[in-house]
Amino acid sequence: MDKMNSHMKISKYLLILLTLSMGCSKNFLDAPLQGQSTPQNDPNVATNLVTGAYSSLIYTDAGGPFGGFDTHGFAFISATNIMSDDADKGSFAGDQQSTAGQFDDFSYTSGNSFVNSVWSGHYAAISRVNNSINAIAVAPIDSATARRLRGEVLFIRAYYYFNLVRFFGGVPIVTVIPDGPQAANTNPAFVTRASAQDVYNTEIIPDLQYSIANCPLRGNTPAGRITKGAAQTLLAKVYMYLQNWQAVKDLTDSVMTEGYALAPDYRTLWRTVGDNNIESIFEIETGSYGNTDAGIPLYSECQGPRAFAGGWNNPGFNYPTGDLGWGFGTPSQTLINSYEPNDTIRKNATIIALNPDPNAPYGAILWDGFVIPSQSKVQNSTYNYKAYHSERNDNIEPYFGNRDRKEKNVHLLRFAEVLLMNAEAANELNMTGTAQADLNLVRSRAGLPNTVAGDQTSLRNAIWQERHVELALEHDRFFDLVRQGRAAQVMIAAGKNFTPGKNEILPIPGVQIALSGGKLTQNPGY
Amino acid sequence: MKISSYMKGNFLLVFVTLLWLSANASGQPLVSIHMKNAEITQVLSTIEKESGYHFLFNSRLNGIHKVVDVDVDNADISQVLNNIFSGTGLQFKMLENKLIVVSSTEVAQDIQVTGKITNENNEPLSGVSVTLKGKTNGTTTDQNGNFSITTPENATLVISYVGYTTQELAVTATMNVKLTQSAKIMDQVVVVGYGTQRKLDITGATASVKGAELVKQPVTTATQALQGKMAGVQIITAGQPGALPVVRIRGVGTMLSGADPLYVVDGILTNDITNINTSDIVDLTVLKDASSEAIYGVRAANGVIIITTKQGVSGKIKVNYFGNFGVRSATNLVKMANSQQYIDYVQASLGPTVAPTGYSTDWFSSFLRNGFEQTHNISLSGGSENNKFLFSAGYVNDQGIVIDNSYKRWTFRLNDEYKINSIAKFGFNASYANAVTQSVNQAYNSTNGTQNQGVGSSFSDAYRASPTIPSKIGNRYGNTSVFQNVGNPILDIENNNNRNNDNRIQGTGYVEIKPLSWLTFRSALSGDLDVPDNRTYNYAFAADTTTFLTGGGNQSNSKSNLTIGNLKKFHWLWDNTLTFNKRIGKSNLTVLAGVVTEEANSNYNTSYRQSVPANPNLWYIPEGDPQTQQTGPQDQPTIAANIYNWTRLSYIGRVNYSYNDRYLLTATIRADGSSLFPPQNRWAYSPSIGVGWIVTKEDFMQNQKLFDMLKIKGSWGKVGNDNVPAGSFTNTLTPNLPYFFGGTASGGVAITQLKDQNLTWEQVEETDIGLEFSTLKQKLTGEINYYNKLNNNALINVVVPSTLGSQPSYVLTNAASIQNQGVEVSLRWSEPINSSFSYYVSGNITYNNNNVVGLNGGQPYIDGPVGANQPYVTKTDNGHPVGSFYVQKVLGVFQNQAEINAYTDKNGKILQSDAQPGDFKYEYTPDGKLDSVFAGSYQPKFYFGLSLGFTYKAFDFSIDFYGNVGNKIYNGKKALRQTALDNIEASTATDRWTQKNPTNSEPRANSGNLPASTYFVESGDFYRINNINLGYTLPPSVIQKLKVISSLRVFFTAQNPVTIQKYSGFSSELPGSPTSSGIELNPYPTTKTFAVGINLGL
Repeated sequence: MDKMNSHMKISKYLLILLTLSMGCSKNFLDAPLQGQSTPQNDPNVATNLVTGAYSSLIYTDAGGPFGGFDTHGFAFISATNIMSDDADKGSFAGDQQSTAGQFDDFSYTSGNSFVNSVWSGHYAAISRVNNSINAIAVAPIDSATARRLRGEVLFIRAYYYFNLVRFFGGVPIVTVIPDGPQAANTNPAFVTRASAQDVYNTEIIPDLQYSIANCPLRGNTPAGRITKGAAQTLLAKVYMYLQNWQAVKDLTDSVMTEGYALAPDYRTLWRTVGDNNIESIFEIETGSYGNTDAGIPLYSECQGPRAFAGGWNNPGFNYPTGDLGWGFGTPSQTLINSYEPNDTIRKNATIIALNPDPNAPYGAILWDGFVIPSQSKVQNSTYNYKAYHSERNDNIEPYFGNRDRKEKNVHLLRFAEVLLMNAEAANELNMTGTAQADLNLVRSRAGLPNTVAGDQTSLRNAIWQERHVELALEHDRFFDLVRQGRAAQVMIAAGKNFTPGKNEILPIPGVQIALSGGKLTQNPGY
Repeated sequence: MKISSYMKGNFLLVFVTLLWLSANASGQPLVSIHMKNAEITQVLSTIEKESGYHFLFNSRLNGIHKVVDVDVDNADISQVLNNIFSGTGLQFKMLENKLIVVSSTEVAQDIQVTGKITNENNEPLSGVSVTLKGKTNGTTTDQNGNFSITTPENATLVISYVGYTTQELAVTATMNVKLTQSAKIMDQVVVVGYGTQRKLDITGATASVKGAELVKQPVTTATQALQGKMAGVQIITAGQPGALPVVRIRGVGTMLSGADPLYVVDGILTNDITNINTSDIVDLTVLKDASSEAIYGVRAANGVIIITTKQGVSGKIKVNYFGNFGVRSATNLVKMANSQQYIDYVQASLGPTVAPTGYSTDWFSSFLRNGFEQTHNISLSGGSENNKFLFSAGYVNDQGIVIDNSYKRWTFRLNDEYKINSIAKFGFNASYANAVTQSVNQAYNSTNGTQNQGVGSSFSDAYRASPTIPSKIGNRYGNTSVFQNVGNPILDIENNNNRNNDNRIQGTGYVEIKPLSWLTFRSALSGDLDVPDNRTYNYAFAADTTTFLTGGGNQSNSKSNLTIGNLKKFHWLWDNTLTFNKRIGKSNLTVLAGVVTEEANSNYNTSYRQSVPANPNLWYIPEGDPQTQQTGPQDQPTIAANIYNWTRLSYIGRVNYSYNDRYLLTATIRADGSSLFPPQNRWAYSPSIGVGWIVTKEDFMQNQKLFDMLKIKGSWGKVGNDNVPAGSFTNTLTPNLPYFFGGTASGGVAITQLKDQNLTWEQVEETDIGLEFSTLKQKLTGEINYYNKLNNNALINVVVPSTLGSQPSYVLTNAASIQNQGVEVSLRWSEPINSSFSYYVSGNITYNNNNVVGLNGGQPYIDGPVGANQPYVTKTDNGHPVGSFYVQKVLGVFQNQAEINAYTDKNGKILQSDAQPGDFKYEYTPDGKLDSVFAGSYQPKFYFGLSLGFTYKAFDFSIDFYGNVGNKIYNGKKALRQTALDNIEASTATDRWTQKNPTNSEPRANSGNLPASTYFVESGDFYRINNINLGYTLPPSVIQKLKVISSLRVFFTAQNPVTIQKYSGFSSELPGSPTSSGIELNPYPTTKTFAVGINLGL
């Protein structure tokens, strides 16, 4: 019996132990997430998300299995500059032929990965805006700040949709955050293309109108933040595409009263010294972050001068050996030819043209004194000067050595374009004098005489020509040609394999059509 | 007829003579008795007088007073007694000392029997079943192996214990019995979750292999040696030294990369067993069906591999040394074009003109080598009755077959068990492993944030690099970059030093209390601490003539950089189980109930600096330039994946019931609560039930000779898979996204990746029907199983449309149902011909059909990116296996312009107007759209293994084969040809279409960038000799003379010596995630090994 008792006792203890081990703390299964902050535990989530939405302008993930995410990187450059008559693919034959190369000769298909990168990059960025809008709505901030922040990110969203509609025509309008991956199946908005007109009328224009109403004027907000002027300028541009000339005129008139002016020296516009100058209306801000360069990945590098076999070796110069980049998006002969003979300031600030003499001691000396060796060592004969950023060790321009992400601001809207839009609208509204005056302001900064164009048609052509050279390689040329209805004519004249009625817009990426289960429709001809 | 009666008489004569001889042979005295109408008692007393024998009987016995007639001469006593007892119900038993006991057959006398049961090492066995033959009553031995039972004095006792040969013995008052371990497979004990079970009693599908089998192969990770050994278990070899082979149990049940089985090492749950020294393993068991897996609940959907390490054996201390030394090389290399072929091809493809250089480099041979491999293990074991121990130390050094590659691992183990008192024991298993891996230029996989299991860019660079460029002359490298924008693969490897140093401590301490013979309580606390650190250094070098033979190009690294990553993972687990085991009548019942609590956490720190000196002794962060960034942006996914904390609480219950040793039932349930899922989906239940019928135990089977054992079994169950990263359902903020306001940097955040807030388990429902048998005197044993596994709500990284804004576009969600149906057959024939020769043949084959049966919302999943031109090559869709290749169909090669012009759509439009003769003709739909087709998947239809072996005197020999049939491989590296200057395979150069070679299978010379098509899909069938093993064991006679050693075996082994593959690439074995497996981009080639070894016991 004694033995039995002791056994019972032990069993009793075992039971207690078992119960103990079961009864762990009630919250045992609520293991908090480690190492990653969440919207719930970030006290400044709304303002931080807004910054993140801005950051989408410089964020480009070139890689990725389906072609990456690109807002202003290599794919964007390909789908704007390289696709236009301003720039050739560059680099050497065969290099990136299946990506950038297909834009140059209009052989791209819906399988081109850069097409998908542009699509995906823009929607990823739009998602950042949408997330920040949701956060602003519930953030513990005063309503004025909330409205301003909302105005800023709505501008960014409108800008992206403006790009999308120009690239692809009608696209799905996404203004909400999906509740999960099944949203693609449950919410048709994600996989149904709205018409281009709807994108303009229900998305872009209302967003910009909100921004105009709620963003501060230039000077009342730190450089880099969206201003009322920026929103007005972009809306004017949108109306220009819609040919609502009165609205263009009114909006640009208003911007012209807000303290903007042309910078005196065209050559400084795309240098660090020209960042956020008096002419700047909307530019992509870059800088250093975490002791390294934080610019648009590859923007400067992929357009940088490329060495030929044997490389560069510049003994005696305190500059890098090797080369400066990949040599894509080289300014075309068409672009060179489009400058008036006396338009040397703008031409020389836009195009790095190498000395064609094979016996010359060097190919070019750049504004910072950097020497590009003779043509025999360099792959291409021209390079985009606007994309150049100095690597001199004495930091004439800020440079930490991260060539992938050079601190090169990209100037998307500047006052010269406001003047040209005002001129174009004025001309269409038969206000010839105003149009000429605007145009002449731009020309005189370039050191050129007043325009000789007088009638509406010749003045229109003169304004278009002025846009071409003034804004050369600033990513708008192809869109302008389509807007002006002469893309086919100009492209075919430039020797491109352009199919009218098809190549005005890009194909919808095939991957995206597949992912939508075939619900996204393809553009004609693809 | 006459003849026959003569024969009959003759036969009778012989029979009688035999009887007489046998009577005499019995040694009993003969008696002559002539009595009429005498009571039996009188006859007995007469016999007593004549023979000197004595009778013991109770005079009240029924029949003892019966009157009989006896008339015999020289008859033996037994014969007399049999005669007179006939029909009386009496029996007798002759004991020693001329004593004869007379008893009634109806009511036998009961006697008290006591005894002790021990094993071969004289260690007491507790829980041994002691029953009366033919009866249901019985007992079991106590903690000290003692038993006591009251039995009829003439009874026979059946003494049985799982894993030991059953003995049947006539009772004696004191019975001390030594049981020996059973050689019969069906008697063997199989490890099951939280316990062991006799294989005969198992209702699920399991397979196990002994450690001794595993060490026969020169592999570093035990599972590698399973290839071809088990039906339903597919092993995909990793060629990289120290890498974990991919294990797929009964097909790919999930689309997650978490399709790997659960490993249970001495109770520790883990997903990585590269720290386990194969020599320490005593048993490796694979649980394949839901009935056996359910005890592991939501960890078990992909199967469970239970590894048990060796325990000490009390007695004299035994020392064992095991070692081998071998050389490894690639099993298969692809022959690339030589310089002349290359120049001609580029010329023909209208690419740039390439001038001959006088060089013709074979890039692969420039960085592949024969690598040496050596393994050493020493173990000591022994102990007393109260304390047993095993200590082992092991060392592996595997150089790998790529220059600069190596893997070195030290392992130490101490397994101890102490007997505290008669009811309690305490033990621990502790191991430490240190593994230093020198990796080769591993490519970072941005898709899932892991390092590729490959040789990174060096491999693809070697595939692409022109043979006209010299590889390396002196200290200077050939400049492939300036020629064709491809890195020099040797420089890729040599400018990078990537060392991973992993320290892992794993241990379990347990207490086992057995207060009653039928009740066991066990509490085990396990810990697993893994502390790997990674150090990657990239040397600085310029694209100049100091580094290269010619300057220029893009391959340069202006500043050296150093990345240090420190990871610390800890996982603890506390098991508490109560086991009740009792035999009641014909019923044998085991009930297990328990609680398991677990917690895992992981912490990762990484730091990065540039301009760190090249001296390896200065590869520390403070030596670098403090102005450089602290972490690379590419580290973000790695950091997120390596920082986590999760908890799990589980309740387990299992009933094993058998009736009359022939009707079997196993019922299991496990409830798991996991922090990995949102609160509403936190708990999951895994029920299962299995039944079995041992047909051969039935009475009606007793007279048949065909089957020694025949068992029919069936099971059903549900198990789960929770192998998702922590935080999979939580929206997180990606930090440090900079923007600049007023020239000041701000770090923004973004919710970049979409999360499924409703994430839940994937649940596998499985039905199993099986048959096990043993026939022809156990020479032939076998097992046949059919299974049907349906994975509902399979977890998958869905690629969502970009409009959803997820970046990366992968979102983890429950999205599909996947079915695996299959049949497994295993057969083994083994026959000991005589004492010096025995042989066996053993084989298994598995048929598996994988099929996606339900896609949530109908969205197909595309994956398998190969390059810019081929963003995806697989599509997972209803009615096709997971990860099926989905590509354009090549119909042939256009032989002339007329064929191109004739290839039109229904409207007469020429479909491939840009084509030239020699280009591929692709399939189009009738309305002129390019068509893609499903072109098979990497999952085999069949895989099989075959082993043959024999022992002849002191020699033993075995040979293992493995085969894999019915799958496809995508030749991704060939498909990735990016420019006209990329090199081609020699066969591409020689077999290409030309006017003179109008082939229909190879295109004309081209500049690459072909679309994904069936051209790149090749057969994945392969057959291989896995292992050849020839050993010589020193005969016992010699051992006895030598005295100092107790055993010695020397052997030669060849691993993967012969591989026959249809695939033209490097390796048919391509570990990868389920939706993108079987795409060869940059694999580490599979290796073959030739080694010699020794196994010495002292």
